[in-house]
Amino acid sequence: MTDTQAPVGVERPRLHKTFPRFTLGQRWEHAILLLSFTVLLLTGLPQKYRAAWGHYVIPTPEALTTVRTIHRVAALVFALEAIYHLGRGIALLARRRLPMAIFPTWQDVRDAGGMLRYLLFLTERKPAFGRYNFEQKFTYWFLFFGFGIMIVTGFMLWFPVLFTGFLPGGIIPAAKLAHSTEAVAAGIFVVIWHFYHVHLERLNLSIFTGWLSESDMREYHALEHERLAQESSSSTPEGTSE
Amino acid sequence: MLTERPIARLTPPATLALAMTLLLVNPAFAQDRAPGRNPSQEECLNCHGDPQLATTLESGEALPLYISAEVFADSIHGLVGLECKACHGETPEVAHVAAPFVDRRQLSRHLYQTCSKCHADNYEKTLDSMHAQAAADGNLQAPICTDCHGAHDTLQPDQPRARISQTCGQCHTSIFEEYRESVHGDALIQQDNPDVPVCTDCHGVHNIHDPRTAQFRVASPELCAGCHADAQLMAKYGLSADVYNLYSLSWHGVDLTVYRANWPTIWHERAVCTDCHGVHDIRRTADSASRVNPANLLSTCQQCHPAAGPNWTGAWTGHNRISIERTPFLFYTEAFYKSFTPAVLWISGAYVVLQIVRGLVGRVRRSLR
Repeated sequence: MTDTQAPVGVERPRLHKTFPRFTLGQRWEHAILLLSFTVLLLTGLPQKYRAAWGHYVIPTPEALTTVRTIHRVAALVFALEAIYHLGRGIALLARRRLPMAIFPTWQDVRDAGGMLRYLLFLTERKPAFGRYNFEQKFTYWFLFFGFGIMIVTGFMLWFPVLFTGFLPGGIIPAAKLAHSTEAVAAGIFVVIWHFYHVHLERLNLSIFTGWLSESDMREYHALEHERLAQESSSSTPEGTSE
Repeated sequence: MLTERPIARLTPPATLALAMTLLLVNPAFAQDRAPGRNPSQEECLNCHGDPQLATTLESGEALPLYISAEVFADSIHGLVGLECKACHGETPEVAHVAAPFVDRRQLSRHLYQTCSKCHADNYEKTLDSMHAQAAADGNLQAPICTDCHGAHDTLQPDQPRARISQTCGQCHTSIFEEYRESVHGDALIQQDNPDVPVCTDCHGVHNIHDPRTAQFRVASPELCAGCHADAQLMAKYGLSADVYNLYSLSWHGVDLTVYRANWPTIWHERAVCTDCHGVHDIRRTADSASRVNPANLLSTCQQCHPAAGPNWTGAWTGHNRISIERTPFLFYTEAFYKSFTPAVLWISGAYVVLQIVRGLVGRVRRSLR
């Protein structure tokens, strides 16, 4: 936690309190995911719709080869990032240091109900959220499984002969359907849900900067803010945690 | 394009020799057959009704000059009352005076152009055909009208229908043999089936084009679809009329659609109907000799997917709609993406809309306060 009480005589760089939210590693992970996901959509959708508008993007058979190559390079980056993310999670879990804040709890269901009541004007109070609210957890887990499906089916389509060597052939057309449909579902989800929550509802750049302002913390993560405030008041005067 | 052989090809001595030959055959020739006469069929047959009438061409080839009055009378032209002069002209000086042909082929290639007098459309079409191309490239055996239709014995070309394919089979013997064994050829020749394709249904009639080009390949599934997407026709034989639509949605088919729409002249290896089913030797799927019979399917796939193993054929949905029995993986995947995922997306969308409404209302309230 960054403290606003800077030493006397030193100019204060920021007048408002900020809270660290994402580590540098997490921010890099998001950046890699964002870039590769975009490239995958841009090179994948014209292939899916190649019999319709795709040919404006892919004007020649050679361009098709190029687009497929780019798609596969981006897919490798995407898959490596996913493997790193999962591997790191497993390593942290093994050392019993995996942060549990992202996992869904019954509280999230109650929060969703509370939020729905608020949205339907049944109450004037939004529920108070913890470190990650149920919307953010939903984003994470919908994309977690969506990306999992994309990676697995994508490699099946890339190496169908290899996969049918030990799996039934029927998985290949199923993988094609899943890859092609899930891509659109994930794309729509990111645009509607994720973009609304991080760009329109409020501009939340914490995944790039790493920190969140105190007012945002109070409004959107009240419980977490309260917890951190208690922690800092009970800790030593230097009190920089995390 | 065809190039007409010049008539004045013979040297003067040769012409003289021919003229002498003709005179020797029929001494009455000189006075009676002078140019400008307008002979009736009866008059022609006075001489040409003689089965012995013949001459020898410069090449040494014998040219029979006998015309059977009965055969001609039964021919399509005889039936409509045409006479010799309709084709040979009212002044048959070519035959009777100049007679300038080295061999029978040259004679045929000259005389058949007469057909264009009445059948100009079809004649023009032949000039654009693979056969005309072969002739232009120097193959004088390439067929002309009379090779397929006959000259004096022209009949309805499609009576019976098998005649069409048999006509092509006169030259394309090995392909005809393959076709005869196929499901189409067998039905045609054994049962005179009116629905199965004969050669010309796929290849065209007079303007037959090279079927080995990229354009022909990319358009070929549509040829098959002409019958196999016809629900009424397919129902008659208990066949699915979905095959073409489902093919068009398949991996092979979508790529084909792209090539046909954008790059029809670029050769592509995407599987078309004939790559798996065969071309002239198409058989029933249940026939153990069929390339797509379950017993032979893997080796058919391996033509393009050489490393494919035994499970591979399970990836092939066989132009069938998605069903729980036949394609369970596909069935459950489709069910998932038709229910769960749209539900999640609609709920997410609705939630965001509620949030937007709530946010706007909140803002308005604050500003009014």
